[in-house]
Amino acid sequence: MQPTEDALVFIVDDDAGVREALAWLLRSRRLPSQSFESADAFAEFLNSSIAWQPSQPGCLLLDVRMPGMSGLALFEQLIERQLLDVLPVIFLTGHADVPTAVDSVKRGAFDFCEKPFSDNALVDRIEQALARSAQTLQALRTKQCLQHNLADLTERERDVMHLVVEGLPNKLIADQLDISVRTVEVHRARVFDKMNVKSAVELANLLRGE
Amino acid sequence: MLFSIAPRLGRRVLWPVLVLLVLSMLSTLVWLAGRYEVTQVQSRIERDAADAVSDIRTALTRNVQSLQALQYANHSAAPWTQEASIMLREHREWLRLELRDTDLRVVNSVDTPFRAPAFTRFGREANQPEVVQACGVARRQSGPGYGASTYVPQANGLGLEIMDMCLPVITDGQLTGFTVATYSLGEILVNMVGPQLTRSQEVSFTESDGTRLAMHGTARRGSRVFIAKQLMDLPGHTMVLRLDSWRGAPDLFPNVLTALVTAMAIALVTVLVMLARDMRRRQRVELDLADALAFRKAMEDSLVTGLRARDSEGRITYVNPAFCEMVGFEAQELIGKSIPAPYWPPEMVDEYGQRQALRLAGNAPPREGAESVFMRKNGERFPVMIFEAPLINALGEQTGWMGAVLDVSEQRRVEEVSRASQERLQATARLATVGEMASLLSHELNQPLAAISSYATGSMNLLQEGAVKDPHLAETLSSAIQRIGQQAERAGKVIKSVHDFVRRRDQAREAVTPRALLDDVMPLVILQARKLGVRVVVHCLSDLPAVLCDRTMVEQVLLNLARNAMQAMTGDTPHKVLTLSVRPAASSANSRWVEFWVADLGHGIPEGVAEKLFTPFFTTKQEGMGLGLSLCRTVVEQHGGFLSHHANNPRGTVFSFTLPQSGTEA
Repeated sequence: MQPTEDALVFIVDDDAGVREALAWLLRSRRLPSQSFESADAFAEFLNSSIAWQPSQPGCLLLDVRMPGMSGLALFEQLIERQLLDVLPVIFLTGHADVPTAVDSVKRGAFDFCEKPFSDNALVDRIEQALARSAQTLQALRTKQCLQHNLADLTERERDVMHLVVEGLPNKLIADQLDISVRTVEVHRARVFDKMNVKSAVELANLLRGE
Repeated sequence: MLFSIAPRLGRRVLWPVLVLLVLSMLSTLVWLAGRYEVTQVQSRIERDAADAVSDIRTALTRNVQSLQALQYANHSAAPWTQEASIMLREHREWLRLELRDTDLRVVNSVDTPFRAPAFTRFGREANQPEVVQACGVARRQSGPGYGASTYVPQANGLGLEIMDMCLPVITDGQLTGFTVATYSLGEILVNMVGPQLTRSQEVSFTESDGTRLAMHGTARRGSRVFIAKQLMDLPGHTMVLRLDSWRGAPDLFPNVLTALVTAMAIALVTVLVMLARDMRRRQRVELDLADALAFRKAMEDSLVTGLRARDSEGRITYVNPAFCEMVGFEAQELIGKSIPAPYWPPEMVDEYGQRQALRLAGNAPPREGAESVFMRKNGERFPVMIFEAPLINALGEQTGWMGAVLDVSEQRRVEEVSRASQERLQATARLATVGEMASLLSHELNQPLAAISSYATGSMNLLQEGAVKDPHLAETLSSAIQRIGQQAERAGKVIKSVHDFVRRRDQAREAVTPRALLDDVMPLVILQARKLGVRVVVHCLSDLPAVLCDRTMVEQVLLNLARNAMQAMTGDTPHKVLTLSVRPAASSANSRWVEFWVADLGHGIPEGVAEKLFTPFFTTKQEGMGLGLSLCRTVVEQHGGFLSHHANNPRGTVFSFTLPQSGTEA
């Protein structure tokens, strides 16, 4: 699995040694990273998010126990903001927090990793998380594109499109809409063009996600 | 009923009867005494009368002799009249002496010189029948004869009652004449009756029909009169001598006897009254005593403390019901028993015997009581506290010992349970502290280990990408770096195994109601609260659902937070109140939570301290380790909950934590 080029790994840990070591490890695998010394700092960064584009694939390495806002609290915030798919969370835990970590995975965390970790395995999971992020972003983008295209269609074109997707021949569509077959063909060609598809099957697949 | 009413009724009747009897007896006595006195007076007067009669008789007889002497005197030497005059001077009772011939003609006569001649007014002849009668008697009897008394009026208007006595004069066996002596009855009484008799009494002669002839004596001096009559039988004439004794009205105490009897009667009545009064007082005292006894009995019966009294020989003299119930013996099985007492365990007999000997020798037991072991009837041993005090009787002598016996087995059991529970909690606390230390240590060590491991792996990655050109060097470095990683991993495993060992009990989760959790820690909390002068308030709804938790660990959390809260309320805290409350907390989608609050009214948490509150080994207490709150947070987070704190209103701090409800997915 190829990590997306512009992906970014966020590291939130109160221990500077751990932060730096992780960043160094990721760099050895050519993964860029950004470190935060506390959950509060990261939450602030999210809120004033200039540097981070929602379109960019990302992954969050989150220490469970920290002074101030705990990792879990930050996790709750992310759930609230529905960011877990775009920004998968991997918890870094000590032994004591294993049950907590298991619980959080059940609630949507990507994974957890016990310290001290098998580092390359961790990086592998990070890459998987980044891939999931990229995938999610791709899907999001496609969806956004579709929405955009649909918005371009006129009223009549949309009517024709729905009937086409239902699999009706042009003749019947013309009858139903009380227009000429020729007009239906024009609309149909225009819909295909606007929706950026070649066939009715492709169009139906595209719309099934709606 | 009968017992109570009969004496009362009897008493009501008996008293008047007794008083009546005493009064009647007294009056009878007084009456009898009066009667006795009357009889005595009467008999004395009778005796006096008899004496008087006898005096008169004697005098009359002597007079007869005197007259005989006159007859036989030699009249040649001195004429009869001369002799008679001399005799008349000697005998004032005579009015006149006559010498008569056989035909009763007056031959010679002499009148008494002490009064006027009595017969001057009507003449001597008026009395001739009486003289004839008297001399007739004298002739027949050849001795003195008396005629009937007659009244002779006198010149001065008064009269004299006279009586003639006739004595025959016999010369050579031939009756030659008569000597007649005329007696004045009044003078007889004056001269012939002893003066002692007439001093306080009146003497009189009466006819047999009661007509008074002559009297002599004092005037009457009282209203009571005693009369004695004595027949005076003279030859030819019979008269009655009457003695009148005048007495005053009967006195209240006519004589010493009556007075004595009365005084004794009064004394008797007084004694009776005093007795009655004493009796009433005694009854009242008895009633009071009965009340006091009943009170004492009720008190003894209601006591849960066993009471046991022993005399100076060690015999049991008294036990109360509580003692009997305690040892299981009946009172009659115990009373009178000496050493060894039935409730002494056989194996302790020697020791107790020595102790009792010491006690009987006069050694006072400790005031705070002695602990001992007794045996119930069924053989069960049980610990008791004995408080003994000397038994002092009314004379102030010690007669034995009174012992109060308390069964302390229940107390011992509670103490045992309490100690066991405290030990368990303390053991858990130690274990939890060790666990927390291990956890902190592992966390702190894991951080650098993680860093080491990361650097090693990163280095390996770089080596594999050919960062080092010399293949031999790369090989050597790779091997070394790999070992670094392996050693770091090994260190991590060691830490993990220690940690796991300490945290083995992590999974012991059970469903416990919040009330049960609070109840478990309350004894210890209250113990400390009492020491610090803190009031503990608990708010816990009874219908709160059970929480799923590691019971002992959560109890540690509660204990830690409660202790911190109490210690936060130092001396200057105005109201020391610790509030423990439990309430349902805000719930998330798939789990429901219960929130525990531990609130104090202490000095609150200063700004600088709040940040470091959960930092391990940070503490504001001198003897603290700085692990308490850290441990609390670990435990709560292990349960999936949160531990937080905020300021209390109006002052102090609230620590709260959440635990998942049982039955929901945590």
